[in-house]
Amino acid sequence: MSENNVKIVSFLCNWCSYGAADLAGVSRLEYPADIRVIRIPCSGRMSPKFILSALREGADAVWVSG
Amino acid sequence: MKYCIDPSICLKLLKDKCGTCEEVCPTNAIDYSQTETELTIQAGSVIFAPGFKPFDPSRFDNYQYANYANVVTSMEFERILSATGPTGGHVTTLPKLPAKPKKKADKLLAEKRKDPKKIAWFQCVGSRDINKCDNAYCSSVCCMYAVKEAVIAKEHAGDDLECSIFFMDMRTPGKEFEKYYENAKSSYGINFIRSRVHSVTEDPDSLDLNINYVDEFGQMVSDTYDMIVLSIGLEIPDETREFAKKIGIDISEGGFAKTSSFEPVSTSRDGIHVAGVFNSPKDIPESVLDANAAASAAGDSLSHVRDTLTQVPEKVEEINVVGERPRIGVFICDCGSNIKGVVDCEAVTEYAKSLPYVDFAYESMFACSQDAQDKMVEYIKEKNLNRIVVAACTPKTHEPLFQETLSNSGLNKYLFEMTNIRNHNSWVHKNNPDIATQKAKDLVRMAVAKSALAEPLAEEKINLNDTIMVVGGGIAGLSAAKSLAMQGYETHIIEKKDILGGEARKIYKTAQGESVQDELDKLIDSVITNDNIKVHLNTTLDSVDGFVGNFRSTLTENGQPIELEYGAAVLATGAKGYEPTEYGYGSDDRIMTSLGLDALFVESSEKLDAVKSAVFIQCVGSREPDRPYCSRVCCTHSIDNAIELKERNPETDVYILYRDIRAYGERELLYKKARELGVIFIRYSTDDKPVVQVEKETLTIKVTDHVLGKPLEIEADLLTLASALIPRRDEQLANFFKVPLNDEGFFVEKHAKLGPAEFATDGVYVCGSGHYPKPLNEAVTQGRASASRLLTLLAKKDSLFTSGTIATIDFENCCSCGVCISICPYSAPDFQNEGRFAGKADINPVLCKGCGLCVASCRSGAIHLRGFDTNQILTQIFALDEVV
Repeated sequence: MSENNVKIVSFLCNWCSYGAADLAGVSRLEYPADIRVIRIPCSGRMSPKFILSALREGADAVWVSG
Repeated sequence: MKYCIDPSICLKLLKDKCGTCEEVCPTNAIDYSQTETELTIQAGSVIFAPGFKPFDPSRFDNYQYANYANVVTSMEFERILSATGPTGGHVTTLPKLPAKPKKKADKLLAEKRKDPKKIAWFQCVGSRDINKCDNAYCSSVCCMYAVKEAVIAKEHAGDDLECSIFFMDMRTPGKEFEKYYENAKSSYGINFIRSRVHSVTEDPDSLDLNINYVDEFGQMVSDTYDMIVLSIGLEIPDETREFAKKIGIDISEGGFAKTSSFEPVSTSRDGIHVAGVFNSPKDIPESVLDANAAASAAGDSLSHVRDTLTQVPEKVEEINVVGERPRIGVFICDCGSNIKGVVDCEAVTEYAKSLPYVDFAYESMFACSQDAQDKMVEYIKEKNLNRIVVAACTPKTHEPLFQETLSNSGLNKYLFEMTNIRNHNSWVHKNNPDIATQKAKDLVRMAVAKSALAEPLAEEKINLNDTIMVVGGGIAGLSAAKSLAMQGYETHIIEKKDILGGEARKIYKTAQGESVQDELDKLIDSVITNDNIKVHLNTTLDSVDGFVGNFRSTLTENGQPIELEYGAAVLATGAKGYEPTEYGYGSDDRIMTSLGLDALFVESSEKLDAVKSAVFIQCVGSREPDRPYCSRVCCTHSIDNAIELKERNPETDVYILYRDIRAYGERELLYKKARELGVIFIRYSTDDKPVVQVEKETLTIKVTDHVLGKPLEIEADLLTLASALIPRRDEQLANFFKVPLNDEGFFVEKHAKLGPAEFATDGVYVCGSGHYPKPLNEAVTQGRASASRLLTLLAKKDSLFTSGTIATIDFENCCSCGVCISICPYSAPDFQNEGRFAGKADINPVLCKGCGLCVASCRSGAIHLRGFDTNQILTQIFALDEVV
């Protein structure tokens, strides 16, 4: 990841936040490249075990958005 | 959107020089040999939707739009507020200058650029104006968009910005608009100033704008603003008027198509239908309704030839890949330079080849282009691939396209995985190509890991019953049923009363002067004589079971229970007139509601002959704290009735006491006509409402005159209260179909702008005043629109499938706790009643929307979400391992 080495795993809802991340691209906004997006069908799909797994794999932060 | 060459200036076409575009075009799309061709299309119906032109205020010398740098149009201000606009969404003065000016004079001017502290909106520029232009009509949309622009500007700039809207009447009669307007005043502190500003002058140094205006108390006020936004109206351009003439359709004085209230999307020429602003000035939801309704009208006359020109694509037999080792093909898209310009796509492709189970990786310039798709089919067959990963743009727009390509090559479409290396990567990290390339590799690795676990998924066919139930036999319901029946579908109308027609039974005339009762009788006659329509009078709905395509209801018809099976429902339950508790209603028979007066007109009552002085009070029960919406129809209704009184007896004194006259569109012409006939309009405010004194002989209405500021006493022998339209708030019906009601009790549609005639619940549609109060023509339009939306469902009768990405239950592990049943917002899971797994939950694939709530909440881990199963999400997290 980037130089400051922050690692963020983000779970984005397909219907809102994933689309918002698309829009950020269309609007040519810039943001640090420290996140990796995992698309989920709805934030209702989110389970605590995904968050724990991500942290166990070494993520500094987990971001759930929906 | 595609580019084309202008042959009048192209050097290649004119002088056979240049040819650069052909050289640089990466997809060889340039073809100089193409010329203009004339196409002849044989059509059975035509829909004419030419739209409008924003009014050009350059011709108004008093606002100096063409000369002053800080006078902009509302259309320009929309762009200024937009994140993709010329100022990147930042509101600044001098917006017409380039962001980074190159010319010296512009550079000097740009130094004067600042964040505005005061912005004014001038309403009715190019609308309601026959003095400086010829547009007598109201453009209907400008009040609402001005309020919206002011609110957004305040949201951007915060308390630093003062927004003022100069208006004549605030016209916010649309659904949820009145609340928005009130909120703009109370929460955002936007000033609403009732005045028409005469002219604008510019301070030559600061470029600030000075205005003088007369306020509501008759005082002259001078003020200075940093920016002025002209709320320009909608206009029908001359080309459209000429074209309309050419194809032989009648237009109004304002240039809008002439349509009747009962066929509001059909022009004077048979077979030509109309939609959008050319029909009448309107906003987005109404344009969408118009478009839907025009499609229904066009389809009505063509139903006998439906499907005669349909071509069915050949289906490729699906290859069974279950149990095979994954052989993944990865396709990396350059997206021209959109991705390749930042990401080293070659390196990503090479990297992809090194990943587990990847048999093949390929870089293509535009993965979505037709030749790339054809190639993908070839590679799938040649390399015997059984999973495909595409790293390109967003699956939200392009997944269906690639899935179709998979189907064409014989692979199940769910063996596809897409990862987003453009919107989420190259576009947002364009200054860090190395990091972006690394991120692209990570994303591809995650997608490959998920893809290896992909399984072919089945989509279940939904059996669709094409019988329809329409709830409500008013104008909207009748219009919907008529269109559905004409297109060949069995339609049942459920009406609780013993007669069809609903509230329209009580109305005398439409705004266009048509006799409602005559037209209603014709409509009812065409409905009851149609063999496809079954009318159930005196009928109530007792239960609703099932889901889209397969509903079942118990009804009580004339006291007898009956069963009805149907595939879709239209809710057209309407609204009813509010019975006022104010202004002495009920204490004297000279005080009546608008519908009461209509009844007198219908029977040509003798009572009318004795009327010497008539008063109308507007907004009775509407736009009040406990009913904070505008009933939309009452202003026009009262004006219409005032005109009727004046025409019956010009000697009658007629007064309309109002808050804002909301005669939107060409209804404005009625307002003008009423004033010309001598109807007196007196505006009152909510803190000084009219007072009605009922005495034996006389009926006295006291009101403060808004021009003189003096109290007036009017003796009347007829007082009409323009009472609100109130929804039926049928919570039981809403629960039956799982559709929402808003705070006031109106149905909430799927999408306020884009889905105005349907519910979020599949197979359930809405029309009429149960959605929001509306006049007859709009009820017909929405009735037709709901039919049109419903027809798009019925058209899929043989090709309606569930999604493959839905939840399934592993019965062995289900502990029958019922959490999934209680948590599902779509009522998809239920306990099984019989069989080996009785008592265990099962999920109805037709109702499941694949959100995964039940999967996440299942304590036994018994529920799996196909396509997004736990192992598929975990494997992506594990694939991060190399990253984190």
